[in-house]
Amino acid sequence: MATIGKTTCPYCGVGCGVNLSVPDSSMEAIPPVSGDVDHPANFGRLCVKGSSLAQTIQSDDRLLTPIVKGESVSWESAVDTVGEKIAQVVKDHGPDAFAFYLSGQILTEDYYVANKLAKGFIGTANVDTNSRLCMASAVVGYKRAFGSDTVPCNYEDLELCDLLIMVGSNAAWTHPILYQRIAEAKKQRPHMKIVVIDPRETATCDIADLHLAIKPGTDAAVFSFLLHHSVQAGVLDNGFISRHTNGFKAALEQANESTPTLFSAANFCGISEQDFMQLASWWNETPKAVTFYSQGINQSSSGVDKCNAIINCHLATGRIGKEGAGPFSITGQPNAMGGREVGGLANQLAAHMDFATPGAHQLVQTFWQAPNMATENGLKAVDLFQAMEEGKVKVVWIMSTNPMVSLPDTDQVRRALEKCELVIVSDCKAHTDTTEMADVLFPATGWSEKDGTVTNSERRISRQRGLLPAPGDAKHDWWAICEVAKRLGYQSAFSYKSVHEIFVEHAALSTFENNGKRDFDIGHFSQMTKEEYDALIPVQWPVPKGQPEGTARMFENGRFFTPDGRAKFIPITPVLPVHTSTPEWPFTLNTGRVRDQWHTMTRTGDAALLTKHTDQPYVEIHPKDAKHLKIEDKALVSITSPYGEALLKAKVSRAVSPGNVFAPIHWTRQFSNAAVVSKLIPQVVDPLSGQPESKHAQVKLEAVNGVSYGVIVSSTPLELLDFIYWCLVPSEQGYHYEVVCSVEKNKNVTSILSLFNQREQSNGQWLEYNNPNTQQTRLAHIYRNILTAVVYIHPKPEFISCDWLVSKLAEGETLSESDRMAILVGTPANVEDKGTIVCSCFQVGSKQIEKSIKEGVGSVEELGARLKCGTNCGSCLPELKHFIPIITELTV
Amino acid sequence: MGQVSCVHIVIVGAGMAGSKLAFDLMQQKNANYSITLIGEEAQVGYNRIMLSSLLAKDISDHEMSLVDTEKMQQEGVSIIAGDGVESIDLETKVVCLVSAKTIRYDKLIMATGSRARILPIDGAKASNVMGFRTWNDVNIMASLQKKQSVCVIGGGLLGLEAAVGLVKRGHKVTVFHRSKWLLNRQLDAESAALLRSRLEQMGIEFRLGESPSSFIQSESGLVNQVMCADGERMTADLVVMAAGISPEIALAKLAGLKTNQAIVVDEKMQTSYRDVFALGECCEFDQQTFGLVAPIWDQIKVLISVLNDKDARFSIEPTPTKLKVSGVNLFSVGKVQADLDDSCIFFKDIEANHYRKLIVNDGVLVGAILYGNVADGSWYFQLIQNKTNVSDMLELLVFGEAYCCPKVA
Repeated sequence: MATIGKTTCPYCGVGCGVNLSVPDSSMEAIPPVSGDVDHPANFGRLCVKGSSLAQTIQSDDRLLTPIVKGESVSWESAVDTVGEKIAQVVKDHGPDAFAFYLSGQILTEDYYVANKLAKGFIGTANVDTNSRLCMASAVVGYKRAFGSDTVPCNYEDLELCDLLIMVGSNAAWTHPILYQRIAEAKKQRPHMKIVVIDPRETATCDIADLHLAIKPGTDAAVFSFLLHHSVQAGVLDNGFISRHTNGFKAALEQANESTPTLFSAANFCGISEQDFMQLASWWNETPKAVTFYSQGINQSSSGVDKCNAIINCHLATGRIGKEGAGPFSITGQPNAMGGREVGGLANQLAAHMDFATPGAHQLVQTFWQAPNMATENGLKAVDLFQAMEEGKVKVVWIMSTNPMVSLPDTDQVRRALEKCELVIVSDCKAHTDTTEMADVLFPATGWSEKDGTVTNSERRISRQRGLLPAPGDAKHDWWAICEVAKRLGYQSAFSYKSVHEIFVEHAALSTFENNGKRDFDIGHFSQMTKEEYDALIPVQWPVPKGQPEGTARMFENGRFFTPDGRAKFIPITPVLPVHTSTPEWPFTLNTGRVRDQWHTMTRTGDAALLTKHTDQPYVEIHPKDAKHLKIEDKALVSITSPYGEALLKAKVSRAVSPGNVFAPIHWTRQFSNAAVVSKLIPQVVDPLSGQPESKHAQVKLEAVNGVSYGVIVSSTPLELLDFIYWCLVPSEQGYHYEVVCSVEKNKNVTSILSLFNQREQSNGQWLEYNNPNTQQTRLAHIYRNILTAVVYIHPKPEFISCDWLVSKLAEGETLSESDRMAILVGTPANVEDKGTIVCSCFQVGSKQIEKSIKEGVGSVEELGARLKCGTNCGSCLPELKHFIPIITELTV
Repeated sequence: MGQVSCVHIVIVGAGMAGSKLAFDLMQQKNANYSITLIGEEAQVGYNRIMLSSLLAKDISDHEMSLVDTEKMQQEGVSIIAGDGVESIDLETKVVCLVSAKTIRYDKLIMATGSRARILPIDGAKASNVMGFRTWNDVNIMASLQKKQSVCVIGGGLLGLEAAVGLVKRGHKVTVFHRSKWLLNRQLDAESAALLRSRLEQMGIEFRLGESPSSFIQSESGLVNQVMCADGERMTADLVVMAAGISPEIALAKLAGLKTNQAIVVDEKMQTSYRDVFALGECCEFDQQTFGLVAPIWDQIKVLISVLNDKDARFSIEPTPTKLKVSGVNLFSVGKVQADLDDSCIFFKDIEANHYRKLIVNDGVLVGAILYGNVADGSWYFQLIQNKTNVSDMLELLVFGEAYCCPKVA
C-alpha cells in the first residue's frame, strides 16, 4: 500500500497539481506520478516532464552533506563558516558586500526568510533571483500600467476568449498543459482565433490560424500599430479610457508617430501587410481577446516597453478585468510569482511594496522589527555579478539556480564568482556548473521533500508538500537561512519551527496596514492553523480577510493600484535589439527551450525518457544558410559571438528564417563540453527591468570540418578530454555519449583507443570492427563476458539507436555468441536459430534438420534434396543419419 | 542414335571421383550403359575426405562410404578392386590390368587422382615417410604406438587434419610449415594465429617458417630423427608428408594422352584422344588442377551430360575451403590477401575466437575469411560467385546475412 500525497509540479509556471504515491517502505520504488484531477491548473493532465517526475526522485548525484572547501563537514561547522564570513564582510565593507542570488524554484517561505534576512537584518537589498532572467520585464510593465505587479487574468480566460494572441511563447513546449487547454478550447469552439507572433515557426503554430514570423525583437511595433489602428477602426472603449486611465493621448501620439502606416509597421516587423491586417481585423472584431506573452517579450533590451505596448492595447479597448480578456504574462518557473509576492527581487521591498512606495520601508521595518532596514534598490542579477567582478560584492549565496549556465556571458559570471571571497551554493545536486564554483555547498531538499507554497501564473497559491524524507543531511533552504541568521545574532526573528509559521507571517505582512491599498493581500491566511495550512486548497490571491474564496480575475471594477486608481498608458517607441547583424557577426541567435527538458537539466536530466525527444544540444539553421556555409544536418557547428564559443549539432530547418538561428538553453558542462549557449549572449539588459536580452545575440557559424562522429556507451562515466565534442545523453543504464573526434583519430583502432583512459581497459578485451570502405570503426570492451563499453566512430553524423546497447550494459548480463557480434551492429540480428551447424558446406544446422524431419522428411537423401545438406563433401552424412532415428523416437 | 547396343564405360580409378561417377551413371534412367569401375585400393567408393575424421576416431569404418557399392553391384556395375591398370591401348580401346586382365571399352574415363608430393629431402624415401591419401595410410598411422612422435610436413588443410587426428590418438605431433602462418593459402596471419593457438591447446607443436633439412635414418633404414634448419634434432617415429599433391598421370603419359601438370581436358572433360575423358585430381583444365571436391562434382555432372550427348561445359568457380577438425570452424573463399586497390573489412572478437575479414574490390566481394563463427560462409560464397554488387551493404556486410538481408533469415 501507498499513501497518495497531493503536491505541485516543480517545473514551469503553470503549476499543475500532482499526485505522488509514497510507498510504505523506503525500499519500494516510487510509482509514476499522476495529475491531480482536482487542481484547477491542470484538472488531472500532466505533460511528459511532469509525468516523469518519479524517475527524477532518486538521483545518483545528490548533495548529501555540507561541504566547505571540498571537505564534508557538519551543518554546525558549515553554518559557522558562513556566519563568520558574512559578519566580517558586512562589518568591513558594509551590508552591500553580501548578496543572495535566489531562484523561482525555491518556495515562497524560503524566499520570505531570505528576503527578510537581507533587507531587514543584514541591511542590503541585494536579493536577486533567476526570475530576473524570466519575467522581470513583465513585472515592471504591469507596475508601470497598474501601479502593481498584478496578473489580471486566469487560465479560464484562455479558454473563454475568442482571440488569443500568443507573443514570444512556444507554449506547446514551455507550458504544455496550458497549450493543451487552449487546443481543446479551440477544438470545442473552432471560431476561436489563435495568432502566434514569433520569429520562429514553433510547435505552437500547429493550432494557429495565423503565424506572424516577425523580425526578432520587433514585437512592440505590432502593438503600437494595433493601438493606432484601434482608433481608426473605432474599437476604442472611450468610457473606460476616460474613467479608468491616464496618458492615452500621449501613448496614441507616440503610436501614430512610431507606426504611422500599415506599410511602415509591416516593414519594420518584416511581415506582409496582408497578414498584419488579418491580425488587426480580428483584433477589431473580437472584444474577448487575450494577449498571452512570455520570454520572447520579456528577454529583451526593450522588454518592459513591449509589455506596455501590449497593455496599452488592452486598456484602450477596455479588454481587461473581463472574462476572456486581458494582457496575460506567463512565467517560466514554478514559483517566480511567489518570489515576486515576498519581494524577492532587488528592486522590490516586500509583499508587493517597493522602496519608492511612500511609507513602505517604515511599514516593513515595523512589522519585522528590523534593526538594519535596506532603504534602496539592490543590484539586479547582471549588475550584481558585475559588482562581484569589481570586488564590491564579496559574499554571494546562490540558491537552487545555475547562473554559470543561465546568466549571459558565462565567462563574466565565472570571473565574478572567482573574484568573490565566499561563494555559497545551496543545491540538491552535487555537480552543477555552479556548484563547481562554490566554496561552501549546502545540501538542499528537493521536490517531493521540500514543503511550502508556490504561486502559479494565474496567482494561484498551492501547496508543494514534503512527502518523502530528506536524504542524508539535506535540509530545507529556509532552515539553512535561519541558522545563518542566528549566527549573525538574529535569533528571535528567525526562530521559525515550521513553514507554517513563516507563511502565516508572510500573510500577516501582506495585510499589515493594507486596507486595499496593495493588490497582494492574503490576510485571510494570517491566522490560519498548521492543519489549515497543510490542507490548503489551491486559491488565487488576493485572499483578503473575509474573502476566503480568493479572486479569479483582477480589475473587474476598473480600479488600479496607482495613487489615483487609474491605469497608465505608456508611450512606446519600438526599437530593435541593441546588437544587430554585422558582416563579422551575421547571424541572429534566438534561444529557448526544447519540449522535454527544463532549465539546466539538473532534474529532467535524470529521466532517460526525457532525452528521447531531443538528445543533444543543437542550433537550428535555415537550409539556405546551411547550404551556403556547407553545414550538413546533424553535423557539428561552431557558433561564436564576441563573448564565447559553443559547439552544437546543426538542425537544418525552415522553422527559422534565413539569417536567424535558434539554440536551446539546457545543456551544461555536466552534459556537454561546449554547449552552454549563454556564453554567446551579451550582458545587454532592459534599462528598466534589468532583464537580459537573452533571446538575441549576434553570432557567426562555421562548419567543423575534418571530424568523425561517434557514440560511446559505457558502464562507467568517462573523461572524454581528447574529443572535440561530447554530450552525455541520459540513459536507463550506464552512460551514453555522443562524440566527435578529429578525423585523424578515426584512422585506426589504436588511435581511437588512445582517446580513452587505458586504466579502465587494462582487463578484458576489445572487439573490433574496422571498415575502411565506410570509414567505420567500432569497438566493444568486454570483461568476463559482460559488456563494459561500446565505441562507434563513423565519418558522417548519423543517428544510431543506443537503446539496445544500453540494455546490454545491465549489470551481470552475460553476452550470447550472437550478442557479441550484435554489439558492434547496435541491434540484435533477426536471425533464424539454425542450431549447431551440421553441414558446413551449406551451413545447415541441427534445428533446420529437425524441423524438416518433423515435417515428414524421412531419409538423408530427402534432407539433401530439401536443405542441400550432405550433398557437397558428404562429410556430414554420418551425422545426418543420426538425426533420423532421434526424431522418430521423439515423435513416437 | 536410334537403337544401339549397350555402351561400355570403363572408369580407371575408384576414388571419390570415379566411384561417384559410376554411381551417378548407374542411376541414369534412360541410358544404356555397362559400367566397369577399377581401383587399385582394396576399398572402393569410400569418402576420402573422411579419412581425417576416421584417423581422429570421430567416425568409425562403417561411416566411411561415399556411395552404396552393394547397390551398384546389384545394378550390374562391375567393380574391380585391388587391381591397378597397367596400360591402355587407345587405338584398340583396351585397358590392361596389373593382373594381366584386359578389358575393352567404348568410353574410357581417367580418374586416377593424385598422390602425396614427397619433398626432395634427404631420407624422404624411407618407409616410415608417408603421405596421407588412402584408407591404408590411416591403417598405418593407427598401428603406431601411443606416445610415439610424429612429424607432419605441411601446415595446409591435409597436414593439420592429420596432425589433429594423430594428436587425438595420443601422439606427440610437430608440424613443420614453410610459411609464416598456417593455412597460408586460406587464411591471413591474424586468423591463422587464432587457429594456431587453438591447435596448440590441443597439444600440437608448430615450427613455422621452416622445413626440415633432413630425415635421419637409423641403421634399420627407418627415419628416427628430423634435423631442423637450426641444427636441432627431433625424435620422429613417423613422418607424414602433407606438402601438396601430385596428379597421378603416369598411366596417361604412357598411353600417350596429352598431359601438362595433369591430363589436359577441355570444357567437356574430353582428353586429347577421342572417347577418353578425365576428371578429378588427375585432370587439368585451363591450366588448373583440382584438389577440392566441389569442382569435381561439377565435372561429374558435365561428363554425364556429355556422355548422354547433352550440351554441358565445365567452368571454374571459386571454391570455399574448410578445415574438418571438430571444434575448429574456419571458412575461406576467394582472395586471402588484399591488393592495393582492394579494401578489407575486419571484425575481431579474439577472446571469443571469432574473426572475419572481407576483401572488397570495386563494390564486389572478392574474398572472405571467417574463423570461429562460419555461419555466413555460404552467403559470402554466393555473393562472390554471383559477383553481387555489395556497395549498399558495406556498412553491415561483415555482420552477415541476417543484418544485410533480414528477409532471408
